Amino acid sequence: MSIILDIMSKIYYIIPIMDRKRYNQFRVIVTLFVGAIVSVAVIRNSYLLSIAGVLTGMLFMAFVRSKAKIKIDEREATVREKAAQLTYAIFAPTIGIGAFLLLVPSYSGLSVFVKGEFVYLESLGMILAYLALFLIAIYAISYHFLNRKYGGGGDEE
Amino acid sequence: MKNKLKIYRAMHDLTQAQLADKIGVSRQTVIAIESDKYLPSLGLAFKIARLFNVKVEDVFSYEGETYEN
Repeated sequence: MSIILDIMSKIYYIIPIMDRKRYNQFRVIVTLFVGAIVSVAVIRNSYLLSIAGVLTGMLFMAFVRSKAKIKIDEREATVREKAAQLTYAIFAPTIGIGAFLLLVPSYSGLSVFVKGEFVYLESLGMILAYLALFLIAIYAISYHFLNRKYGGGGDEE
Repeated sequence: MKNKLKIYRAMHDLTQAQLADKIGVSRQTVIAIESDKYLPSLGLAFKIARLFNVKVEDVFSYEGETYEN
């Protein structure tokens, strides 16, 4: 255990302090490394190797992130907000409609997709339906808390 | 909303990177504000005005409707 900690601390001190450009380069390298390890793990059918690869990548990225001087300023925060809104606006209806198309016609026997060897698609429909519910629940809960945090919901004048 | 950030930056002989560093944002944000693609928050607008020792309305001007009290 102490050897692993020793190696980790050495790796941490080897990583230079970096700006955003260097951070992005490191991120691409780590992503490629993890992708390669996972590919090899899939070919060799080794779960352990893929888990080790992903964990190593996560650890290395945590080190890199702690050494990077990256400013997340308000413009970037706005961009992230808009991107999250757009993702929700596209993803929620897509999986909702997907679940509907897979589930409702299959129960009424009119399904175009869920027939014969494609019967497993009904399970996929269930997964999509629960995923849609989960997404909407997270949105509703986070909306409720953020609304209260930023002064909404009160009746005081 | 219009702004004179570029003019004030030139008057104080600052590069975009130097200004970004002073107000704690990225250079891309300064570029976006200068080209009117991004409206800064009130806090950032005050920070910019204080840096140049002027009022907020000297740097940023609102050209929308006006309301009478």
